[in-house]
Amino acid sequence: MDALNSSPEDMGAVLVERTLRSGQSVSYAGHVVVLGDVHPGAEIVAGGNILVLGTLQGTVHAGVGGNEAAVVVAFRLRPSQLRIAHHITRPPDGQEFVPEEPEIARVKNGMVIIEKFGQHREG
Amino acid sequence: MGEVIVITSGKGGVGKTTTTANLGTAMALMGHKVVLVDTDIGLRNLDVVMGLENRIVYDLVDVVHGRCRLKQALIKDKRFDDLYLLPAAQTKDKTAVTPPQMAELCQELATEHEFVLIDCPAGIEQGFKNAIAGAEKAVVVTTPEVAAVRDADRVIGLLEAAEVSNPGIIINRLRSQMVKKGDMMDMEDIMDILAVEVMGVVPEDEYIIVSTNRGEPAVLDRNSRAGQAFYRIARRLAGESVPMVELASGNGFMGRLRRLIGLS
Ligand SMILES: Nc1ncnc2c1ncn2[C@@H]1O[C@H](COP(=O)(O)OP(=O)(O)OP(=O)(O)O)[C@@H](O)[C@H]1O
Ligand SMILES: [Mg+2]
Repeated sequence: MDALNSSPEDMGAVLVERTLRSGQSVSYAGHVVVLGDVHPGAEIVAGGNILVLGTLQGTVHAGVGGNEAAVVVAFRLRPSQLRIAHHITRPPDGQEFVPEEPEIARVKNGMVIIEKFGQHREG
Repeated sequence: MGEVIVITSGKGGVGKTTTTANLGTAMALMGHKVVLVDTDIGLRNLDVVMGLENRIVYDLVDVVHGRCRLKQALIKDKRFDDLYLLPAAQTKDKTAVTPPQMAELCQELATEHEFVLIDCPAGIEQGFKNAIAGAEKAVVVTTPEVAAVRDADRVIGLLEAAEVSNPGIIINRLRSQMVKKGDMMDMEDIMDILAVEVMGVVPEDEYIIVSTNRGEPAVLDRNSRAGQAFYRIARRLAGESVPMVELASGNGFMGRLRRLIGLS
């Protein structure tokens, strides 16, 4: 990505109006919004936030330039791997967590945490 | 103009060649004019499965390079007058032809046949690109295994990017006993993952091995369950509406996976 010196907010957002399948990838210096699902094997890299209005099962990297304030939101957040800035997380082995409601992932006290979407504002 | 349909999968060995041979034979049985094209250059099989290996004189590469006319390379089936095979070359590799050459060849075949069925090689490289170049429709074969379904997903994405619209899925080698026990994915599970239409489900059937060895597609045997499943799929592909036969729907492989890990 070349626009890393300008803040992701300046770059606005791209809207991806389809499902991303295995092997497909989207990379953008600003925010990325997907109207669809992100299948396992698909990848999203964003300088800003990543919003998936569907099921997220692929790999995502938000705040790729080092932006610790970046978040990942999905209707169903089940990523193979999730990165924010330089933090890398993955679901624990042998356990498939199936959330039933929208969730948000963000960095809090140097760790990536996942919460029910909406609750994060109070905490 | 006929319709050009590519039979593809991503993952190798899931049943593309078996499917091509059976769908083509079934369509000929229904009275359609059909040509099968083997694009697996260097690893041809379709001629053997059709029992036509010993009749090959010219092949697809010869046609593309102008060493013979198209008509000379087409092999007429033993059983049906309106069924033809264009064999692949065995001593060349996938780079012997290019996607534009394939597109032109398919165009020419479609002027004389109602259905042009393309047997695609495994993988997503040049052989795949050649196979889909002239196709307007695609059938994606998968087995009910996570790795095969993942590859099918990849291929569906590539087909969409190449504007080969609305592929149909064939689930091959389904074992209903395993589905019932919750040890294998069923049609619903796969439809959930891929979010595309399933055209049909073909059971695991030992008779496929017998028929492949004999060079007689299983659709010709009324007692082969896989053969009869292929026949129903061929009717769907030809535009008839044929109801799905419930092979087995278990408690759900996904459900069991969740139970195993203590989620339900
Ligand atoms: N429904 C079935 N029941 C039992 N065996 C099957 C069935 N379908 C295919 N097979 C067997 O699976 C093997 C692979 O089938 P096939 O050659 O059609 O796959 P393919 O996808 O064309 O492979 P490749 O990727 O190498 O071209 C063969 O031995 C075939 O006999
Ligand atoms: Mg094959």
